[in-house]
Formats: sequence, structure tokens, C-alpha cells
Amino acid sequence: MIFFKRQFATFVLMIMGFLALIGNFINNKNLNDFIDKDATQWYEIIAGFAAFLGVLNLMKLHLTKISYKRKNWEYSILTLLSFFIMIFFGFFYNDSQVPFGSHLKDENSTFYWIFDYVYLPLASTMFALLAFFVASASYRAFRIRNFEATLLLVSGILLMIGRVPVGALIPWYVVNLMYVFLIFILLGHYIKTRRNYFLLFLFLSFLSFVPAIYLKWYLNPPAFLSIPLIQEWIFAVPATAGARAIMIGIALGTVAQSFRIITGREKTILGD
Amino acid sequence: MIFFLSILPFLMILFYLLLMLYFVIDDKKIFYKYFLFPSLIISIYLINPFSMFIIGNELSFFSIIVSCFLIEYFIQKAANGEEIYLRPIAGINAMEEAVGRSTEMGKSVLFVPGISGLDQIDTIAGLTILGHVAGMTADYETDLHVPVAVPIVMETAKEACKEAYLKKNRTDLYREDMVHYVTDDQFAYAAGVNGIMLRDKPAAVFYQGKFYAESLILAETGNSIGAIQIAGTGSSSQIPFFVTACDYTLIGEEFYAASAYLSGSPEMIGSVKGQDYVKLICMIFIFLVISFSILGFLKISPFTDSDFLNNLFRINKI
Repeated sequence: MIFFKRQFATFVLMIMGFLALIGNFINNKNLNDFIDKDATQWYEIIAGFAAFLGVLNLMKLHLTKISYKRKNWEYSILTLLSFFIMIFFGFFYNDSQVPFGSHLKDENSTFYWIFDYVYLPLASTMFALLAFFVASASYRAFRIRNFEATLLLVSGILLMIGRVPVGALIPWYVVNLMYVFLIFILLGHYIKTRRNYFLLFLFLSFLSFVPAIYLKWYLNPPAFLSIPLIQEWIFAVPATAGARAIMIGIALGTVAQSFRIITGREKTILGD
Repeated sequence: MIFFLSILPFLMILFYLLLMLYFVIDDKKIFYKYFLFPSLIISIYLINPFSMFIIGNELSFFSIIVSCFLIEYFIQKAANGEEIYLRPIAGINAMEEAVGRSTEMGKSVLFVPGISGLDQIDTIAGLTILGHVAGMTADYETDLHVPVAVPIVMETAKEACKEAYLKKNRTDLYREDMVHYVTDDQFAYAAGVNGIMLRDKPAAVFYQGKFYAESLILAETGNSIGAIQIAGTGSSSQIPFFVTACDYTLIGEEFYAASAYLSGSPEMIGSVKGQDYVKLICMIFIFLVISFSILGFLKISPFTDSDFLNNLFRINKI
């Protein structure tokens, strides 16, 4: 028995991994078909059978909870009740005009009604919660604590403004002033006297308009003074560069992990 | 200056070959095993006798062969007793701390292996980490909860936990309902796990696997209950959410290296070192591509008029 759980399982893991790998390079119809179709179907069949185990596990867990009146056992009644109601209307009761089985997709069936009016609103509610979680997570991430958090805040604001129509309406001189503000946010730590800070800010604000007048930006504003274009640049250049760096790391990690599994060195998944 | 710039890519290739030769000097066996043998395989692929290989996948094949032999080389090096240094990864070091904290607080540890099946490498990586975390909870006599979304993952997770407890001689602490099925549905699963978090208030929460939109819902709930949270995923779009809401996040290859790191076995650590060297090669190639692009832009590249570069770095056709 231990042989099947350990050595045989490792052997199957290695062989299947190796076949899946060489299937991408060897020009053999049988092998390619096995990798593309058969192996995937095998997985789906095994996963399908495992679904029964999942259902049994769910029932066993909640029935035990109710029987022994463990902590929060009342919720288990609701879970099992919902579970059996769906099974009843799915497998045993058909109140629509269409044959059994097709009633699962018929709008007049009770099963469909429950799906449409109970399940979907609940799932949508969970999804909608994401908006609030994004707000709270952004608040924490955008709190100005260090240089990185400030950078995140600035790019976040620029992205948000750039993605809405009002962003395109912001004139070039406002964006010009925003740059001056940004510089002074970063300089805040280094200039201790408030008076000097304010005077320098005023001076630089006026100074920032000198190249604008000299280069006639008021007639044809450059790209770095347009919020939608800045937003596009942040998205296309620094964000993509960072994402690609992570993607390369993920790809390398995948190669190393797969190599460890195929060569039978990584056996933690089998419990070794 | 222009002359120097035009020969710079070739100097880089020469540097790469010298790196290979550095390995050769070490031992003749190494030359045959890690240089001649892979070169032979690549040559056979390029010659393509009897059309036995798929045309268009040469770059993938070349990359995989180089990566695998390089990783194998460092695994053998580590197995032969060579000391290999790995930089400390805060997220991995904090795993034991998190389990210890749960023990001190008398609370449970929650492990979320994501919502994907075993056809995703992230889930497999997550389950290998689960084996180590289960070992820690067995050591610390702490309660472990693993709610899963895919039945086949439940069976594998159960096996990993059971064996981990057995290995630590703590089968008395293992419970059958430690790993339990919740639901297949993404948001129903998120609701279920959130419910477990709010009711049981675990002191440590691990998110290790493949995650989608539910990642932030889970991580923010975990944050609201004050649990120490350690996340790891290969879903690049979910990493920012985890970074924001969790205490530690294993980013990119750190997530896949975690199991090797936690096992502490020299062979596994050797594979991580090999992976780092593959990364070095990637960096050299990125530098080469940038150099060629700049030279091409300045019209001083010897390959400006040919499709050499485009063919070399083309996307594979399967």
C-alpha cells in the first residue's frame, strides 16, 4: 500500500510531467493528442469523481457539527437546508414545461428562479463588497509614510483622474502647478523653516511658468502636462515594466518548481 | 565609441561563453554532463531528423534545456556538500513566527490554498507550503484549518496534512475535518472563508495558491480581525492587493522557492540557486536585446537590415 502511495505516485507524477513537457516539442500526433485531449479529460474525470467526495465531506462536516452542537452549529442547519433545497429542485422536482434536466436552464423552473433571485444577488453582493475593500486598502496604501507610499499616492491619483472624462478638461497650467506641489511634498522633509518653504514655493511656482511662456505651451501643451497622457504613460511604461519583472520571476519559479517535481525531488505534495 | 557600442552585444555573448567555460575548468565530467550533453540535445533539435520535433519552438526548447541543466548543476553541487547561501526572505521566515503567535494566543491557523485546481502550478506550490505549515502546527500543537474550493485539492491537501502530522509523530492532533470543502463558487467560497475568519478569529492566515478577485475580500477581512497574514501567489494581478492588505507577501519566484527554502534540504536549495543563475542569464539577454534595440535605433547595428533579432526572440508558435 505504501508503495502505491509513495513510489508509484512519484513515478506517475514524473512520467506525466515529462510527457506533458516533451509533448510541446515532439512532433507525434498520438503524444500531442494525449497531452492536449486525453490527459486533460483524465484530469476532468478524476476531478468529477472528487466532486462527490467534496459533497460528502460538506455533509459529514455539518451533520457532525449539528449532532454534537459544536460552536456556531446553527449556521450548519442553514447550509444543509440550502444544499438540500437545491438538490430537491435540481434532481427531483420539475415545475416547468420543458423535460427534466433542461429545466435547470429554463426561466420558468423554481431551480432557475432560486438561482436568479437568491444566488445571483448574494454573489453580486459579495463582488460589490470589493469596492469598499478597495477603498479601505487604498487608504492604507496611500497614507504618506515614506517615499514609496508617496509615489504610489501620486500615481494612484493621476491614474484615477486620467481615467475619468474630467481629467482631460484639466488645463496645462494646473498640471504645471501640480508638479510644483509634488516637488514640495518631497522637499517637505528637508526645508525646516515654514517661511523659507513658502517663499521657495512661490518663487518656483512663478519660475515654472517661464518656460511655458517662452515655449508657448499655452498654444500647444506638451504631453507631460496632459493628465490622460501621463496616465497612459504610467500604465504603459513603469507599471508594465514592474509587472513584466514579476512575470519573469514567476516563469522562472514555475520552471524550477516543475523541474523539482518532474525529477521527483519535490514530494511534499505527496506528504513526503 | 560607436565601434565599442556595436561590438558590445558580442562581448556579452563572449562573457556568457566564458561563464560556461568557468564551469568546464572545474571538472571534465561537468563539461560532458552540463555543457556537451545539452548542446548535443539542442543540436539534434535544430537538425530535426525525420521531422520529429515541432518547428517554431526552438527558443522555448533551448531555454528549458539551459534552465534545467543549470538547475541540475547547482542541485548536484549542493548535494556534494557545497555551502549555498540564500538571501533571507522575510515572508518565509515569518511563517514559523505566525504559527508561534497563534500558539501563544491559543488561536487557530487558517490556510487558504486558492480557488484553482491541481492543473495550476500555483495550487501545487501552495500545497507544498501547506505540508510545511502543517508540520509547524503539529510541532506547536496548534489548530489548523484548511477550507478548500476544489474537491480534488481537498483530497491532496488532506494527504499532505496527514503525512506532515505523521512525520512529526503527532497523529493524535490530526483531525479529518482539518481540511474541508466549502464550495466551488468563487464568491460563495470568499463568503465562507470570511465567515470562518470572523467566527474563529485565527491569529495567522496563509494565502498560498492561485487567487482571483476574491483575494482582496479575503485579505481585508483577515486584516480587520488583526491576524498576521502571509500571502504568496503567482497571479501577478493579485499581488498588489496582497501587498496592501497582508503583513508579508511572497512575490514572483519567492512563492515557488518557499517550499525549497522551508525544506532546508541542500538539493532543494541548490535548485533555487540554479534558478537565480537562470535569472542572471535572462538579465544578460534583456541587456543584449536593449543594446541591439538602441544600436538598431542609431542605425549602427550589424543586424539592422536582417530579421535576425526578430527571429531569435520571436514568440513561439505551437
